[in-house]
Amino acid sequence: MSADPISYLPLSPATLHILLSLAAEDRHGYGIMQEVARQSEGQYKLGPGTLYDNLQKLMNQGLVESAPRRSEDDDPRRRYYRLTPFGRAILSAEIARLDTVVREAKLHLRAHSPESAA
Amino acid sequence: MTRTLYRGLLWLHPPSFRREFSGEMLWIFEETSPDGVAPLFADGVISLLRQWLLRSGPWKLAAALIGGLLEIVAGGLGGAIFMHTRMQARMVGAPLHRISNPAEAIALQNLVPVMMWVSVGTVLMVVATVAWVRGINRKRLDGLARGVRANPARLAQTGR
Repeated sequence: MSADPISYLPLSPATLHILLSLAAEDRHGYGIMQEVARQSEGQYKLGPGTLYDNLQKLMNQGLVESAPRRSEDDDPRRRYYRLTPFGRAILSAEIARLDTVVREAKLHLRAHSPESAA
Repeated sequence: MTRTLYRGLLWLHPPSFRREFSGEMLWIFEETSPDGVAPLFADGVISLLRQWLLRSGPWKLAAALIGGLLEIVAGGLGGAIFMHTRMQARMVGAPLHRISNPAEAIALQNLVPVMMWVSVGTVLMVVATVAWVRGINRKRLDGLARGVRANPARLAQTGR
């Protein structure tokens, strides 16, 4: 496994959404699913199988780690997850990559739009 | 009823995945409204296939075992046919290299597909074993890389 963030790119949609959902705060699995649905305005829904398969992979790669429970009242089955500094670096690199893609796309679309042709 | 079914589906997952995540997955199932459980079952089945076929090592071991068994069975059959032919050749007193007996010719014809199966079994076993060993090595290297990232000072201390 490489420590170079570039070697992890591009991220799959599921990985990107999971990392994004953990960028602001630690969340449990169900919280990640809800946040992903909110971020994508309901267009991308993660099932628990897909979520935990990706979480397992991300934990093995050192991008995500378990976080302590927030309160003792929490259901003991509920585990929290958080981004590691390495995971945050990879997410930043992916956002920078996507930013370049979007800028390029806008330029090309503008150049070939009917308005610019006229 | 649906909860029991979903629990059964989770139980079919590989033990390492089940130990780590099945409690949470069951909890999510309980939190989901009854109208939304059908997609969870579909997701659970896909997860089951993915975990066994892509993420788990035992299928490679199983493939190697099947390849090995195939090879042993095919080899045994080939040996039996060869011995049978040899005995028949002795009984008629003909030299082994001359195929004058029709039964011997048929036996040799049978030997060709058997040898093909032996070859396929051998290739399958070798491919599966190599893939399995490479998987183990990759996991070991991943673990080392994680350890180095988590504690780079240790690497400097050891001077490696």
